[in-house]
Amino acid sequence: MVRYVIRRLISIIPTILGVTIVVFMFLRLIPGDPAVAMLGEHATEENVARIREQFGLNRPVFLDREALKQGDLKGFFNTQYLLYLGRLLRGDLGNSIHRRIPVAETLAQRFPATMELAFFSMFIAIIIGVPVGIISAARRNSVLDSTTMVGSLVGVSMPIFWLGIMLIMLFAVTLQWLPAGGRLDSGIELKTITNFHLIDSLITLNFAAFVNALQHIILPTIALATIPMAVIARMTRSSMLDVMQEDYVRTAHAKGVAERSVLYKHALKNAFLPIITIIGLQFGLLLAGAVLTETIFSWPGIGKWVYDSILSRDYPIVQGGTLLIAFIFVLINLLVDISYGYLDPRIHYD
Amino acid sequence: MKGKSLFILLAAITILSMVLAACGGGAATTEAPPVEQPTEEAAPPVEEPAPTEEPAPTEAPPPTEAPQASVFIFGRGGDSVSLDPAIVTDGESFRVTGQILESLYTFAPGTTNPIPNLAEECMPNESATEWTCTLRQGVKFHDGTDFNADAVIFNFERWRFTDNPYHFPEQVFEYYEAMFGGFDDASIITSVEKLDEYTVKFTLSAPLAPFLANLAMDIFAISSPAAIEKYGADYGTPAAGAVGTGPFVFKEWVEGDHISVTANEEWWGGRAKVDEIIWRVIADESARYLALKAGDIDGLEQATVEDLADAENNPDLYILRKDQPTTAYLAFNYKIQEFQDPKVREAIAHAINKQGIMENFFGENADLATTLIPPSMWGYNDTIEDWTYDPELSKQLLTEAGFPDGLSEVTIAEDIVDADNNVLFKAGDKIPLRLYYLPISRFYFPTPKEVGEAMAADLANAGINVEMTTEGDWATYLAARREGRLAGLYQLGWGGDNGDPDNFTGYFFGGGAEPIQREGWYQNPTLAELLNQALVTPGQENRDPMYKEAEQILHDDIARIWLFHTRVPLIFSAKVQGYQPQMVDADNYQDVTVTP
Repeated sequence: MVRYVIRRLISIIPTILGVTIVVFMFLRLIPGDPAVAMLGEHATEENVARIREQFGLNRPVFLDREALKQGDLKGFFNTQYLLYLGRLLRGDLGNSIHRRIPVAETLAQRFPATMELAFFSMFIAIIIGVPVGIISAARRNSVLDSTTMVGSLVGVSMPIFWLGIMLIMLFAVTLQWLPAGGRLDSGIELKTITNFHLIDSLITLNFAAFVNALQHIILPTIALATIPMAVIARMTRSSMLDVMQEDYVRTAHAKGVAERSVLYKHALKNAFLPIITIIGLQFGLLLAGAVLTETIFSWPGIGKWVYDSILSRDYPIVQGGTLLIAFIFVLINLLVDISYGYLDPRIHYD
Repeated sequence: MKGKSLFILLAAITILSMVLAACGGGAATTEAPPVEQPTEEAAPPVEEPAPTEEPAPTEAPPPTEAPQASVFIFGRGGDSVSLDPAIVTDGESFRVTGQILESLYTFAPGTTNPIPNLAEECMPNESATEWTCTLRQGVKFHDGTDFNADAVIFNFERWRFTDNPYHFPEQVFEYYEAMFGGFDDASIITSVEKLDEYTVKFTLSAPLAPFLANLAMDIFAISSPAAIEKYGADYGTPAAGAVGTGPFVFKEWVEGDHISVTANEEWWGGRAKVDEIIWRVIADESARYLALKAGDIDGLEQATVEDLADAENNPDLYILRKDQPTTAYLAFNYKIQEFQDPKVREAIAHAINKQGIMENFFGENADLATTLIPPSMWGYNDTIEDWTYDPELSKQLLTEAGFPDGLSEVTIAEDIVDADNNVLFKAGDKIPLRLYYLPISRFYFPTPKEVGEAMAADLANAGINVEMTTEGDWATYLAARREGRLAGLYQLGWGGDNGDPDNFTGYFFGGGAEPIQREGWYQNPTLAELLNQALVTPGQENRDPMYKEAEQILHDDIARIWLFHTRVPLIFSAKVQGYQPQMVDADNYQDVTVTP
């Protein structure tokens, strides 16, 4: 098991390297560059040229063949990508071109916001989605089953954008129960340690901040969790139904094992493999959905930030942000694979 | 086994989180009733703990804090890039720096007339190549250091000299280059001398007519030299903020979320009426408007047409319109052979029903444009008569130009290439007539695609069939425009920086005698010469007729089709009074009051 995990962790390296190459290449394939985006309608030839030079954007992207022809081996490697890779290996994600501050600094502040929202949403999606799926499977074709399945179909098809606006209209404007957006009221003082507001406020025993942070996270969580919740509920139901057709379940029933015990002890554990897989994959989609949720609820995470950076061609931010998201995604899926071994003793990792 | 402990850990976290969520949920609902009355912003944090946990200590402070701090929360679409105004070009940065920092001159409220600010006056010599400025005395930066001649010189030298230790290599001092001709020896300002503690003399290499208007720009606001020395390249970042002499002092900047400033008790112009301003980032327009309705914010800029209509009928809200000097236009790419014929250009000008489009898409948020320079600026030529909307005349003109069957296809007159010299359109190629619309909404063009479609319909009525298209996203579109490869008619616009007409007509057409690549290869040496002359002619009274003449030349040449001068809508809660929109530069917040 340990060897397997180490092997998988090592295999993350080429994956991440691949991500850097693809992101690097595609960013530079789209026309328009940071200089043009920065200058807007004002751009003059000289300004654009000077800014390109200032940020090294006039260098070859991957390898400098011209330099090689002239026998300049150092120049051959003195390219945008290799310089970036060199810095990356030293743990330096570079500076934002427009903001001129280290990407790592902003990531440290914004990434926890996205992860807090994503984990919280996934948590809600699981604790609601799984039981709903189980109950639907157990009472197949009942009114309850049809209602929840129709409900989850609606959930899957719900555009986050629309749902978000509706939630704000109902809970913030009409009922005035919850704030319309943001992460914390601007008057609330909170000492940041992990930058996960819910955790920080608990560590520092700042309950005012905790309640405030919780009030702020509720609406975006509902918007973000709806789709994965619906998917998980549907997957749980169908997976449970499959398992309940199995011989050993029939045997358990025949032996007179209590229904509850059949469901939770015999069926659920085996039904969980595909559910866990879906949860892992949904987590990736959740991070993608965070762009919209963060925009509507003014949530200062990385989704909207990376998206805006693509538009402004702030290459270091896009590179840093995608790298981190890719890393988290790979890691989550590694956890999913490891959990297979726990759920199904037949699966061995050696 | 490890798996099991992991599972137990996860289960523990899950249970803990459930408990917390339950607690929080309860707390949220107990919080609900008080919100019934207006809102929360005037009553900040300290009051909240009371219902839940904290014992006595928090009870005590409120009475001493009795006169509640008045806070004005403004919702905006994006975050500031930096609070060092010298190195940015975006309005969201100036919106904030304009409150913290001040320039030597400023613009009189609601106009584009430069008036003294940190300088008491600046007087030119006869040839307008030397300006002597007397500075306001007794002014202090927020860090307690003195504002004086040394501070002015420190800032100007930092902007100008690329080898200045504070002209950091990773920073781009874009506007200095644009407004003062370049850095180092290319700079029009050749020296800034200290005559005494409160007098400086600017020496220019040539007369620069918009000199005072330039000084008044938010970009050239004076920062505390001590702060720049202290923070180095971090000056202007969220960690350091900005240190100036303005009516508000930097408090905090939470990236992507909000920036706040507090009233400067010592401000030379008298303390601001409001205690604190918070600019909150709410990117989505609809969400921003809903936040205003929910009472989370007190004012906002830019809303959808539907939300504006809703606000007009809401007694709790009111709308102000910011009369920025802006102009939206439709440009020709002169590498299209047909566009080189004035008759074809005129036919297009007569085919578009600008009035109809304006009524349908803008309402009160725009005026029709007949010239590039808007009526609110000096240099505006009010004698020019716009092209009438007359599709029949368009058809007739097209027939005279040799297109009796209308125009759907055009010919490339010269190769159109990209930045790497790859030929995109070859001379002689026939391509469909294109109308490029902006890929994003800009303040001068809020609904580019819809307006483009309406134009296309109008043009079709006159027998001109266009293919609607765009070019990638905003940066791509700008790059294509800059390289002169938007091969057809294309939308764009402009928002003025300093209220000087050179910043309009001069920027676009004052290049050399060669075709201007960035301007769709437009070429008019007479116009360029006139505009370059206007730039160095002293005295507004002498320059004004020159810009009027320039507009006449552009009109006679049907160089472009000027569409609209838009106004940016601002919506406020009825609790807010005293907000003063400016034409250029940041709006004024000193007189804002928020009734609880």
